[in-house]
Amino acid sequence: MVKSRIGATFFLIFSAFYFYKSFDIHLLKGTYYETMTAQTFPYYLGILGILVSVLILIFSFIKIDKDDFMDMKKLRTYDFKKGLYLVLAMIFYGYTIRSLGFVISTIIFLIFGFRILEEKNWKIILLTSFGVSIVFWLLLTQLLGIYVENGVIFEYFLGVQS
Amino acid sequence: MMDGIWLGITTALSGYNIFMVAIGAFAGTFIGMLPGLGPISAIALMIPITYGMDPSSALILIAGVYYGAIFGGSTSSILINAPGVAGTVATSFDGYPMARQGHAGKALAIAAYSSFSGGTIAAIFLLVAAPVLAKVSLSFQSSDYFALMVLGLTAVAAFAGKGKFLKAAIMTLFGLMLATVGTDADSGVSRYTFGDMNLIDGISFLLLAMASFALSEALINIIENKKITKEEKAALKKEIGSLKLTRAEVKTIIPVIGRSSVLGFFVGVLPGAGATIASFLAYGMERSIASTKEKLKFGKGSLRGLAAPESANNAACSGSFVPLLTLGIPGSGTTAVILGALISYGIQPGPTLYSDHPALFWSVIISMYIGNIILLVLNLPLIPYIAKLLETPRQILLPLVIFFSLIGVYLVTFNTFDIYMMVLFSVVAVFLRIVDYPMAPMILGFILGGMMENNLRRALTISDGSLSFLWERTMTASILAITIVMLVWPLISQLFFAKIAASEDK
Repeated sequence: MVKSRIGATFFLIFSAFYFYKSFDIHLLKGTYYETMTAQTFPYYLGILGILVSVLILIFSFIKIDKDDFMDMKKLRTYDFKKGLYLVLAMIFYGYTIRSLGFVISTIIFLIFGFRILEEKNWKIILLTSFGVSIVFWLLLTQLLGIYVENGVIFEYFLGVQS
Repeated sequence: MMDGIWLGITTALSGYNIFMVAIGAFAGTFIGMLPGLGPISAIALMIPITYGMDPSSALILIAGVYYGAIFGGSTSSILINAPGVAGTVATSFDGYPMARQGHAGKALAIAAYSSFSGGTIAAIFLLVAAPVLAKVSLSFQSSDYFALMVLGLTAVAAFAGKGKFLKAAIMTLFGLMLATVGTDADSGVSRYTFGDMNLIDGISFLLLAMASFALSEALINIIENKKITKEEKAALKKEIGSLKLTRAEVKTIIPVIGRSSVLGFFVGVLPGAGATIASFLAYGMERSIASTKEKLKFGKGSLRGLAAPESANNAACSGSFVPLLTLGIPGSGTTAVILGALISYGIQPGPTLYSDHPALFWSVIISMYIGNIILLVLNLPLIPYIAKLLETPRQILLPLVIFFSLIGVYLVTFNTFDIYMMVLFSVVAVFLRIVDYPMAPMILGFILGGMMENNLRRALTISDGSLSFLWERTMTASILAITIVMLVWPLISQLFFAKIAASEDK
């Protein structure tokens, strides 16, 4: 597999989509005859994007640098599973930050994160996740005066409106 | 000008600002030390903290972070041969062998003295060059700005390295394309929002910088499963030895520092070239002018080989502030992020910055000097302790970096959509990093995108829709001529060398 070719294919598809979508930019009445409308810049960027990605593709067939070959041995050592789990943990964090509130969602996210990366010492896991969340929350709300959501749990049990 | 300098000194020397530069230098050193996390990540992580601050203090903090990150990168290069920053790769060539010979303390001291001197010399140059260029740039018109931005973006691609020109070019275009998302500033028409209200304001630069640098760098570290090796752990536990230099050693490095600082500063001023190129050039220059006997020492712990890249990379950092402060055009990924931060504070860098915000303009320059002093007096003695932080397990550190990146962006908008967007961009960035596409041109393209479109629109309106503005003004035409040479040369050479290689294969 050639790395520049994989990237160029991605950009070719992206640029083609971007170019195609540039026609969807709605122009206001009276601006049709202007030299430069909201559509002009994206239109030419799309064309340039297609052109450059095609050029990369062409060059990748003329001559391939040694470095340009995907190192499959190295790729096999990559732990994509861990990366994927962390991505899911981030999405979960985004999903819960408002409902569970800053402190609880951060504690959960950090515990997930440490466990995904195989930290085994629960004392460290709990101390760090609770410590960071609570200290950061205190810093934000008490010192910097930044409002953060309390979350539904606080609302429900303590009657605090978030 | 003296009034401005005085204003800058009093602003930069206020207790609060000195505290800021010290905090910045310290935090930057720590983040820069972590292998894989560079100055862009360090700065991006600090930006949310600066939002409530006065712009001068914020920029002073950021400048401290920038210097600190470069210095921190040198520390990990010397101690464990793992440069945290590309600009300090050349430092490891001679710094690490010195550490292995038991002179880690000496290597760190040379790195600190060289960085200090490089930064100081460059700060003096900046003091002279910036106002001059600011005055010249007052005569610039939209067409010149448009040409300058094209030149800046092309230069980034041209300096990207052998065979990477087109990759850098497409990344720049990718950044420009992402910049068009949101409401068009001129007509108020929404573009590429797909009917989603969350995209009406466009993509925030902080979100993109954080996702494509801090977050994706952390994810790559996780995927690559890099752990501190036993050898590295042992190196960290070793005593670093004396920090003192002999008189003969000082005599050896003084001329090296002088030469490399001047070279570093001018390389830093050039758009597209930055600390990395400056450090490699300085190392190469020092090696080529060394005597045959001296040459043999290079790569084995040469003092000159260590002092040269260290002075040059710090001088280049100061140099890169010249086009940023005077023209409002960043020459590198790092200064692009700083520009983004400035714009979000409501300040538009450029020729008017010099006259409109003299306190900010001068205090940043003065604080660079203070930052260098702080790095020398505060960080150098603390290095053995800061280095211990490198032993913090990565399984604890990386989730924390991810948390700070996510929360840093979330706390600006309080919109969970931003978190999802960051996740998406970081996944794309990880993919692009794996297939070897550079990230810095993208962030540069993204930040310059809006300005470039506005200047082009203005220039076209002034010239009544005719493209003649490209060649009517001498300034515009000359800048564009340089751009064309930069643009065409790598293509020709790539084609030419490809043909030669093909004929050789036959």
